[in-house]
Amino acid sequence: MGGTTSQLPKDLLSEYQELTFLTKQEILLAHKRFSDFTREGRNSPSPRVPMEKILTLPELKSNPFRERICQVFSTSDVKDGSLTFEDFLDLLSAFSDSATLEIKSHYAFRIFDFDDDGTLDGGDLEKLVNCLTGDTDDTRLTQEEMRQLISNILEESDIDKDGTVNLSEFQHVISRSPDFVSSFKIVL
Amino acid sequence: IPQLVSDVPLSTSQFTGLELLTGMGYFSNTVMYYGGYSNHTVASSSSAPYNTQLAYLLTIAVYLVLCGVSLIYSMARSFQSNYVLEGASGGAWILLCSWDFSVTNERAVRQRKANLTIQLKESLSEKAQQDQLSSSEKLKRFGVHLGTWLLSTGLAVGASAAIYFLSEFEQKQAQPIEGSDLLADASTLLVPFVVSLINLVVPLIYSLFNKIEVFSNPRTQVYAVIMRNVFLKMSILGILCYNWMDIVAREPNTCWESSIGQALYRLVVVDFFFLLLGSFFGEFLSNVIGSKCVPSLGVPEFDVARNVLDLIYSQTLAWIAIYFSPLLTVIQIFKFFILFYVKKVSLMRNCQPPRRSGRAAQMQTIFIALLFLPSFVGALSMVAYTVWSLKPSQSCGPFRDLDKPYDVVEHWMSTEKAWVVWIYERVIRSELFFFLVSLLILVLTFFFWQVIKGRKLLIIQLRQRIANEGKDKGFLLEKLQNLQKAKKSSANKRKTRTKTNQRNFSNRQWYAEPDYNQTPESHPAPVMVDPASSAPSALIQAMLARQQAELEDEYEPPRHPAPDSPPSAPSALIQAMLARQQAELEDDGDY
Repeated sequence: MGGTTSQLPKDLLSEYQELTFLTKQEILLAHKRFSDFTREGRNSPSPRVPMEKILTLPELKSNPFRERICQVFSTSDVKDGSLTFEDFLDLLSAFSDSATLEIKSHYAFRIFDFDDDGTLDGGDLEKLVNCLTGDTDDTRLTQEEMRQLISNILEESDIDKDGTVNLSEFQHVISRSPDFVSSFKIVL
Repeated sequence: IPQLVSDVPLSTSQFTGLELLTGMGYFSNTVMYYGGYSNHTVASSSSAPYNTQLAYLLTIAVYLVLCGVSLIYSMARSFQSNYVLEGASGGAWILLCSWDFSVTNERAVRQRKANLTIQLKESLSEKAQQDQLSSSEKLKRFGVHLGTWLLSTGLAVGASAAIYFLSEFEQKQAQPIEGSDLLADASTLLVPFVVSLINLVVPLIYSLFNKIEVFSNPRTQVYAVIMRNVFLKMSILGILCYNWMDIVAREPNTCWESSIGQALYRLVVVDFFFLLLGSFFGEFLSNVIGSKCVPSLGVPEFDVARNVLDLIYSQTLAWIAIYFSPLLTVIQIFKFFILFYVKKVSLMRNCQPPRRSGRAAQMQTIFIALLFLPSFVGALSMVAYTVWSLKPSQSCGPFRDLDKPYDVVEHWMSTEKAWVVWIYERVIRSELFFFLVSLLILVLTFFFWQVIKGRKLLIIQLRQRIANEGKDKGFLLEKLQNLQKAKKSSANKRKTRTKTNQRNFSNRQWYAEPDYNQTPESHPAPVMVDPASSAPSALIQAMLARQQAELEDEYEPPRHPAPDSPPSAPSALIQAMLARQQAELEDDGDY
């Protein structure tokens, strides 16, 4: 498709900058990276990139939560994890340096909530631990250890003792961890 | 050093290769040992005459004082950082949330995952082992502990007795030897050889005990192993020192200080070789065996405790030797240098990181305390005993014709200017001064101890307070949830899916509002806040603000320890607020 890369119109650029936590350069860089994916099908005004292409980004490729991230930020009706450019900006904004703790913990909660029911129950926690501990047999925790670990986690953070961790309990736990804000970061 | 510069009488015997090991022969008359120092004041060409005796004593004293000060300083520093930071314990949740999202390297991600697994498993095992055991189990464990302790002390005592008899035997053997007889010299190597062998073998036996007995806490296991090893090494050293002090020093007509220096030299050198061999065989061969021949054994772990104890042992030897053979410190420096690099290479190639990583800070405190207390103080006391009370040998050394080495200071004092003597007499030697100083120190210690107790109590109270706050918050938020559910079911649900811009905008605005307005989202799709539910949320905001203000007022009274009053007041407040909420809910339900 030749050398015509679409420029982001100035008013859109300033609007994006106002609505997200990103700076102008970051938005322009995101636009450039995103247009690499949409170079093929340029027929719709806000092209939607399927999840597989997004996952080829080097920043997301080895992240254990990559699929969940795409699903959380996707606004498509069929819930296939595809992102428009504005979804992509949303993603980068939540993971940027200047996003607040509330935003980050809100989105972290949604990412960890694997079954999308609004709370982190035992199944969600188990999937979370499995994502983080690896896929090979010697790094995976045994059933017994997993059970013990989940009960430890719930004992530590479930304040209202309903067996699940809801958003506010999650945010309470996060507020005690000092490096959450700096580690919940993806920069292009 | 001036001794080296001035003329030194040449040695009378030939230099054979064995001397490097035994330290006798050629080395006997050099500056290396105590015996080589002259007792005259060297009249150097330019400045004032250099009093060798005084210089010798004072150099050693200054060096030991410097060592002591630096040890105390580092001990205090690590103690402080260790105990102050003990409160922030991790917990599994914190570990999970600390995943770094910006890591993109595939291998780094895998490594982090493995680390996280190990950490989780370790924290799990720590928690799991705090459960109760039946009493018969406890009795059995206690019996096993007692048995192993008795066995290990028995081994240590047996080893020291063996060393004692062996050195006595060597003593008797060494009597008639005059010239350099190679076999006789080599036989003097026997004692250090046996000592190092024991130092190598017995800790291995101790680690075998580990397989038999089960400790409730992995940390106490490490402590127990360390204690046993330290006891073994200290008892061996103690026996050797006793042997030297009591028996060798009483020998007439020999240069006993030099012979002690030589024995120490031999110990240091043989120890060095054994450490090298140990790292070679222990780690390299185990690696080969583990990876190629019998894969089930696995790659050996790097045992930090054992290596550090070896280092402490050799440093103790060097400290004792500072009086008898001053140049041994130079040799010690070389030895540590080489050993460091050998161990580093061996570590990189052969070993895997130990499974229980962590607790490194606390171990450091223990190790430094260990370095200080038995070894430094022991060496110091031995040197002090020698300086103060033993009669130096007549035929060699700088203190040749004095009754005690300390007399040199006395002589010097009598020839010096008035104010120095005055300081010396009044300050250092007067008992009254020391009495007053120790009284002052005791009072200060007591005062600081009280302050620490008060602070600990404060920490406990604050923690309790945080837990209570969490409970209050959870309780209130649950009420909020119920309230919101009631509100939503009464108003009509409009899931307005506006454009992305507006959603972002609303999110940002929503979260830019102050902190205590956290409405829990009960489903992930972001719903526009419809105006009907904003009224109770404003009400709740007001109530929370009032609670916040009242809690801040509560802060002033509990200055003195009254642990019961602060937590109960907010709960009474909550009762009042809940009653109010209840009333308002009924009011809202009316229209």
